[in-house]
Formats: sequence, C-alpha cells, structure tokens
Amino acid sequence: MKTKCILASATLLLVAAALATEEPATNCVHRSCCAPIEAAKPLADKSLYQLDTIWTNDAGKTVKLDSLRGRPQVIAMFFASCQYTCPLLVSRLKQLEAGLPATFHGKVGFTLVSFDSQRDTPAALQIYRTQHALSTNSWTLLEGDADGVLDLAAVLGVKFKQDTQGNFTHSNLITLLNSEGEIVYQQVDLNPDDSNLARRIEQLTAH
Amino acid sequence: MTPCIRTMPKILQILGLATISAWTFAVCAVALPAPGMVRIADGTYRPFFRAAGDPKEVPVKAFALDILPVTNGEFLEFVRTHPQWQKSRVKHLFADESYLKNWAGDLDPGTNAPLKAPVTFVSWFAAKAYAKSHGKRLPTVAEWEYAALAGPTRPDGENDPEFKRRVYQWYVTPSPAKIGPVGLDQPNFWGVHDLHGLVWEWVADFNTALVTGDARGDNGLDRQLFCGAGSQGARDVENFPAFMRYGFRSSLKADYCVHNLGFRCAKDL
Repeated sequence: MKTKCILASATLLLVAAALATEEPATNCVHRSCCAPIEAAKPLADKSLYQLDTIWTNDAGKTVKLDSLRGRPQVIAMFFASCQYTCPLLVSRLKQLEAGLPATFHGKVGFTLVSFDSQRDTPAALQIYRTQHALSTNSWTLLEGDADGVLDLAAVLGVKFKQDTQGNFTHSNLITLLNSEGEIVYQQVDLNPDDSNLARRIEQLTAH
Repeated sequence: MTPCIRTMPKILQILGLATISAWTFAVCAVALPAPGMVRIADGTYRPFFRAAGDPKEVPVKAFALDILPVTNGEFLEFVRTHPQWQKSRVKHLFADESYLKNWAGDLDPGTNAPLKAPVTFVSWFAAKAYAKSHGKRLPTVAEWEYAALAGPTRPDGENDPEFKRRVYQWYVTPSPAKIGPVGLDQPNFWGVHDLHGLVWEWVADFNTALVTGDARGDNGLDRQLFCGAGSQGARDVENFPAFMRYGFRSSLKADYCVHNLGFRCAKDL
C-alpha cells in the first residue's frame, strides 16, 4: 500500500512537472481558466471562505476571502509594525516557499492578514510587501475592520489582544488551507521545524 | 461627564439624600437604553489576571446591557427570520455538531428547551449573529465582568460577603440537566438578572483571554492559570468564580456549543 502511494505521488509529481514545463506558471497562479467552475460549486461546510468580511489588499482592491479559492493557501495573521515575531514568521514562510520543489512554485498562495485595522492601510501593506520582497504571484496581504479580524481569528483559533500602545500580542499560528478554504493543517508557534508543513503543502498541491 | 451627573449629588445633598453616589448614575440616565436593557454606568474593571505591562485598571464606558439572558423563545424568533441559523441548516464552520442539541427541531425547541429558559448550545458566531440582528453586540470581557461584579445593593459586590457566598455556591454546583427560566433571581444593583446562577455567557473578545504581554509566551499563561503557584499572579486569589470564568473562556473555541453556555447582548449608548 505504501509503495503504491509513493508510486502514485511520483506519477503525480511527473505529471505536475510535465504540466509545469508545458504551460507558464502564471496560468496556475491566476487560475482564470478554473475560477468559474470552482465558483459554481457551493463552499464546503467548514470552508473559511464562507466568512463574508470585505478585506482590502495592498493594491487597494476590496476582496472577500473566497477570492483565494482555487489553490491551497498558507495563512497567518500579523501586523506590519510588529517588531518581534511577525518578521520572523514572514521570513520563515519565505524560507518555506523557497524550499518547496520548483514544480510547486506558484501553486500555493501565502496570505498575511493584519490585526491592525488602524495602522495597516493598503499603503502600509504595500510598503511591507516591498520591504520583505513578497512576490505578487504568491503573496496576498489583507487588512479589514476589527470585527472581520475578530471573526477570522476566531475560525483560525488565533488569540490576540491589543495593548495600551496599540501593538498586538498574538499567537503565532500558521494555517494551511486546501483550495476550498478548509483547514488541513495548523502549526502552533514558530516551530523551528517546518518539514511537516512543507510535506502537507506538497501533498495538497500534488493532487 | 454630563452636567446632570455633576449637579445631581448636590441636589441630593440639598434634599438631605446624600446616599450612595453611584445612585446618581442610575437616576441620571443620560441616554436611555433600549427596552429590555439597562444602563451600566461608567466604571473601572480590574482584570482578574494581568500580564506584565497590562493596565491595572481598564476603564469601562457606560453601555447598555440586556436585563436577561437570551431565551429559547427569543432565539426561535431569530431562527425563523434567519433560516441559515436553524439547527439543520447551520454551517459547521460557525457552530459545531452540538448546535441547539436540546431542541426538538429547526423551529421547535421542544420540552427540553423551554421557551423561557436561556438558549444554550449556541456558538459564539450564532450569539454574535443574533445580537447583530437586533442592532446589538456581545459585551466585552471588561463590560461583562464589571456588570457581574455588582451585588444586589452595590456595584462593588466583592465587598458584599453574602453576595459573594451565593455566587460561590453556584460555581461549585454542577449545572442541572434542565436549566430553569430566566429572571427568577434577585436583580443586581444595575437591575440585571442571572449574571451568576444560571448559565455561562459568551463575550465578544473571549479569544483574548490567554494572551500574555509577550507573544512568544502564550503557553506560559496557560501554565500560570492552571498550576497552583500561578494563581499568585492573580489580582484576588480568593476570587474563585472569576478564576473559573477565565479558565472556561480560555478553553472555548468560537464554534463550540455547550449545554450551559448562553449569552446576552450589549449595546453602545
């Protein structure tokens, strides 16, 4: 059984690799080909994409979370002025992205959602993107109102609190969503070993 | 401060009625709360458990609070008009499998969920949606704790031994299988019923309960809260009910539906 699985994933890998060489990666990133079909299907019972909060991305465009539908997403909450764990979190996610086999690049998205409805304007997020060199193909940066932040934190299981200086203390939770927005894996804290998360991403994107 | 509040004590003194100053707040309702709600005056909430750097006192701005917890009967009206919150239709992202478990059907609370009893087996999302549909919101931890601090005769119930004793009694008694009707207890100083003695209640920011001043130390407070020695960090080590509420809140997730957990709504004034 095990060998069969390995064989199957190896075949999938080969197929994925073949597809990747045939078509430019950008096709997969935008998923324009697949979006209408996906949208026709109702969202799963536990899909996070049922949250109807309107977010704004760093380009100033308003989006709902279901705009992320179509490819797996690694999602984490942060705030741009965070001096402590957020930069560490983002650099870990970048390392994780860089460490994925080349065939998976662009097939998984990375989404950072801000706790800071006051200070993290689209402009502030844009600066953050530049500072941390986050590619527009893979990375989505979102900000929204306090209630939306509370809802998202609640479904993710993220605990947070704003202190008197306006900074946020928060748990460092990295969540992997499948292409339908269901939680498939969560990594608590800044675990120095991301290999489990990487393996889960590879499993998801291989299908 | 409104002129009303400033002048009232003087008027009372003139009338020879210089009693509890807090009375003036109650008498002097500047903004009238909606029916079924009372005004809880400005005050201060002293967090039961503080991380380093957390303020010792949190100011609570005057707000309106439901006099009673939301009942099965009221929740029935809500699910009638908001079918997405009916038992069989709810999305399980927003409520776990126990949602309205004691109800007989989508529009039938049945005998296990009397209309006058507080609605339980509701998730945070369901409670929030109910509140929103009434133009209200859930109270914050600070607001809830501040309102619940009041005994029957004074806003600072912690200085009322008899009140404290009764509250303790409830917290050490397991909840009955069938929870009784709302509003039968003696109202507190603000006129609010059932903050203690009937069910636990959701608050808006339940998921902020276990965060310390250091994001890397989230799990640290967990240990502090539940190990004996850790209780030394609490403001009032004798305040066992507050301790239990903190422990309970920190164990909750937004989709949890529990047999003795209900809610009431609050509103800005």
